Amino acid sequence: MQAHQSKRDFLKVILGGSLLAWAGTILYPILAYLKPPSQAEAEVSSVKAGKLSDIEKDSGTIIKFGSKPVILLRTAAGDLRAFSATCTHLDCTVQYRKDFGLIWCACHNGKYDINGRNVSGPPPRPLDEYKVNIQGGEVFISKRS
Amino acid sequence: MGNMKLRPGMLVAALLAAAVCRGSAAAPDQCVTCHEALDDAPSKLFKHDVHFKKGLSCADCHGGNPRSDDAETAMSKKEGFIGAPKGDEISKTCAACHADPEAMRKFGSQLPTNQWENLQASVHGKLSTTGKEHIVQCTTCHSAHGIVHVKDPSSPVSPLHVVETCTKCHANAALMRSYNPSMPVDQLDKYRTSVHGIRNAKGDPNTAECASCHGSHDIRSAKDVKSRVYATNIPATCAHCHSNAALMKAYRIPTDQFEKFSRSVHGVALLQKNDVGAPACNSCHGNHGAAPPGVESVSKVCGTCHALNADLFSSSPHKKAFDDRKLPECETCHGNHEIVAASDSLLGVAAGATCGRCHTEKESTKGFLAARSMRTLTDSLVNFEQHARTLIDEAEQKGMEVSEAKFRLRDVHQARMQSRTMVHAFNEDKFHDAIQKGLVVAAAVSQQGQQAIDEYYFRRFGLGFATIIITILASSLYLYIKRLERKQARSESDRSGS
Amino acid sequence: MKRSLEKFYDWLNERVELDDLIKFMGKKYVPVHRHSIWYYFGGVSLFLFIIQVVTGILLLMYYKGSEEFAFESIQFIMSKVQFGWLIRSIHSWTANLFILTAMIHMFSVFFEKSYRKPREITWLTGMLMFFLALAFGFSGYLLPWNELAYFATKVGTDIAGVVPLVGKPIMMFLRGGEEVTGATLSRFFGFHVAVFPGIFTVLLGIHLLLIQRQGMSEPLSSEHEPVSEQKRMPFFPNFLLRDLLLWLIVLNLLAILAVFFPWELGKKADAFAAAPAGIKPEWYFLFMFQSLKYIPGKLWIFDGEVFGIMLFGAAGLLWMLVPFWDRKSARGEKNRFITYIGLFVIFYIIILTIIGWAT
Repeated sequence: MQAHQSKRDFLKVILGGSLLAWAGTILYPILAYLKPPSQAEAEVSSVKAGKLSDIEKDSGTIIKFGSKPVILLRTAAGDLRAFSATCTHLDCTVQYRKDFGLIWCACHNGKYDINGRNVSGPPPRPLDEYKVNIQGGEVFISKRS
Repeated sequence: MGNMKLRPGMLVAALLAAAVCRGSAAAPDQCVTCHEALDDAPSKLFKHDVHFKKGLSCADCHGGNPRSDDAETAMSKKEGFIGAPKGDEISKTCAACHADPEAMRKFGSQLPTNQWENLQASVHGKLSTTGKEHIVQCTTCHSAHGIVHVKDPSSPVSPLHVVETCTKCHANAALMRSYNPSMPVDQLDKYRTSVHGIRNAKGDPNTAECASCHGSHDIRSAKDVKSRVYATNIPATCAHCHSNAALMKAYRIPTDQFEKFSRSVHGVALLQKNDVGAPACNSCHGNHGAAPPGVESVSKVCGTCHALNADLFSSSPHKKAFDDRKLPECETCHGNHEIVAASDSLLGVAAGATCGRCHTEKESTKGFLAARSMRTLTDSLVNFEQHARTLIDEAEQKGMEVSEAKFRLRDVHQARMQSRTMVHAFNEDKFHDAIQKGLVVAAAVSQQGQQAIDEYYFRRFGLGFATIIITILASSLYLYIKRLERKQARSESDRSGS
Repeated sequence: MKRSLEKFYDWLNERVELDDLIKFMGKKYVPVHRHSIWYYFGGVSLFLFIIQVVTGILLLMYYKGSEEFAFESIQFIMSKVQFGWLIRSIHSWTANLFILTAMIHMFSVFFEKSYRKPREITWLTGMLMFFLALAFGFSGYLLPWNELAYFATKVGTDIAGVVPLVGKPIMMFLRGGEEVTGATLSRFFGFHVAVFPGIFTVLLGIHLLLIQRQGMSEPLSSEHEPVSEQKRMPFFPNFLLRDLLLWLIVLNLLAILAVFFPWELGKKADAFAAAPAGIKPEWYFLFMFQSLKYIPGKLWIFDGEVFGIMLFGAAGLLWMLVPFWDRKSARGEKNRFITYIGLFVIFYIIILTIIGWAT
């Protein structure tokens, strides 16, 4: 009887103990999950580039398109253009220079006109063009098929 | 009889052109005799003409009967007289013989016979503003009656005179404007400032003149891919003389430029990749005013494309230092013709690096230390970038989500590119700042990569741990169930049994 | 510890009269026979549903249901939130396993003919829950707003639109417009986290209540055996503990799947891009999708696709109404015909799913 008793208790101890441990392995991930991460919100990469009304005339912004940067231009006349923002010379990220009225690469002074054509400096090729669509006041950028 | 002076005018049918070339007898040429007596300029000139010397008469081009001394008969239509040919008729008359290899052989000539064909395909073969004939006829450059061999110094197309012949039209702004308003008309002025032009003025027949680069009959617009002066063809055109050792010996000019250029980054871009944005010889030397850039202007010339580097250089301490020592600025470190892609090995004080050539440890310690430090910084950025990239790749291979970190790596690459430009300020602090930007991002990315890899192992470890616990729990639960059922079975049998 | 539990029980009992309920539950037995193993699949399905609710609620903490943020929010969960990868992968895997176990449960009930009187309502609620599970799957699939999901939804709602008369309005209702857009995402999100769970809970409640009330169904063969010969085990604690043991192992299985076969996210949906080649729906729709491909374009006056859809609709309806047209089982007799139908359906589904997956 004594042996049975201790065996019973031993099993109950193991059962109880492992149950508690198991509860821990369930609760710990859930609680850690609920704790807000340091970066509070998801980063917007946007195939959607925002409201048309938010984009100023004669300006350009860089937008993350998947893993690639895309520069979205709004000309002084109000047209929207989008190009790959990777300079065709040595892969730096280009920007829009209002004072030049051109797309400019800070690395080696490459210049592209607002049609993406390389017009000055080392870039050997124009920038790849992306399609810009406006649907319901929102700007969408997509790859040229 | 009409004006004997050559002017593009109405065309007259020249069906007798072939017949005309059969040549005439050795009998005295009555045309010349008569017209000379009339003090006619063409006949005077014709006396010195190579055609006359070969036994040809006026009638061979103009038609008519050269044996008759009666004007009516000699110049009658019946005898095939066509008067002064006008417009394309002129060139067709010349081509009647000069495009016929048989005819040329008869006169024992080694001259080529493709001039007319080439002219028609050339830019000069286009229709003139009247729309009725080509812009240029043979006689435009060669003149009509006093034609001599091209090597004859008095020929209008001899090396020493061809410049005047070309500029008769090409320096005439009003005339050029009627064809191509954007075409410059200052070639002669520029040419006379060039080495070629100066020597040509001094009477050197071997130096380059218009035809040397542009060709003669087959001149095409510089925008035409087939033109000798189209961007990708220019190096070969210049090399035609400048790679000719025998020719250049007299001027003591080296002849390895073309070969070196072909190997250079500019040459590869222009000649192999057909990138017409890349410089050809004329981009740095000029074309009509061709001359090597002076020491102080090298950075300006290179700076027409490499603007940032040139600006940084011009405001750096090296500008004055180089100019004072007559060192040709950019060329000192990068070379001139054989400019290869700049690598990190140019920077620093190791063997093969350019800085150490002047900045020796003993004599120029400050510069030596600065150069060495800049190289060390560059190397460290390269290493950090590589390290970060390796970590990210490993994390990605393991299936972890690192697209954001990967995107940030671009900034490291950008910092590296910008630092390579910043070198030209030759300022340790500025360079350090440029590198630092990259180092900071590279460190952050490395951390993210490492975190992703650690997370990968953590997940597997965590799973193993949880599985162990679950296994213990499951087994003990199973044993518990078994025990429970044994107890139930026993109490069942107890109940039904006794 | 035991003392305080007893005290709490007494307190509750005084107010709610738990004693009666406990006695009733204590009488619940589970028949033990060679087909007993299938009894577990209902429980596992329930367990997986609970997992979905729990992981679903957790995902709700970080998921953003708009076109602009949906994809990125899941990327965020997978990479930035602690154990987010685990919660999300478990949710995606469980969705598929839930449908699989529900199917097994459904087929085992079908073959056992447990749908017969008095359990017709149990069968009906079960079938409705199954259809809801498919709807859960379809709506949930769109939520990551990735390329695959976008086009699968386009194709799926297109098929819905093909149904005569009501098809177009249904499609517009589902899509929230003419095309699949952010409006579609919002709707599907609403369906997935509010509408369907609500309806499902009601159906589940009825289903479980009926099971408690009626007890476990026994195979037709054993109905003729005397009660004393029939082996049984008490639901509490025996069957329940066994159930829990199985659930524990399933939970571990889910964790292993989440770690070694994490659910992919793919590329963000691009409405203006062309559909990727060879697009096909998830496996549980594949057999229908593949079947449609074999129907000729036109059958008499009917459009082939419409015919196919109507055919599946009719088949589904017949299947759901089996308790009412299977007279033999209602009488307690064996019905080989039903068994053959069931076998045919299983093989049909398996073979067409394989073909659909392989091509």
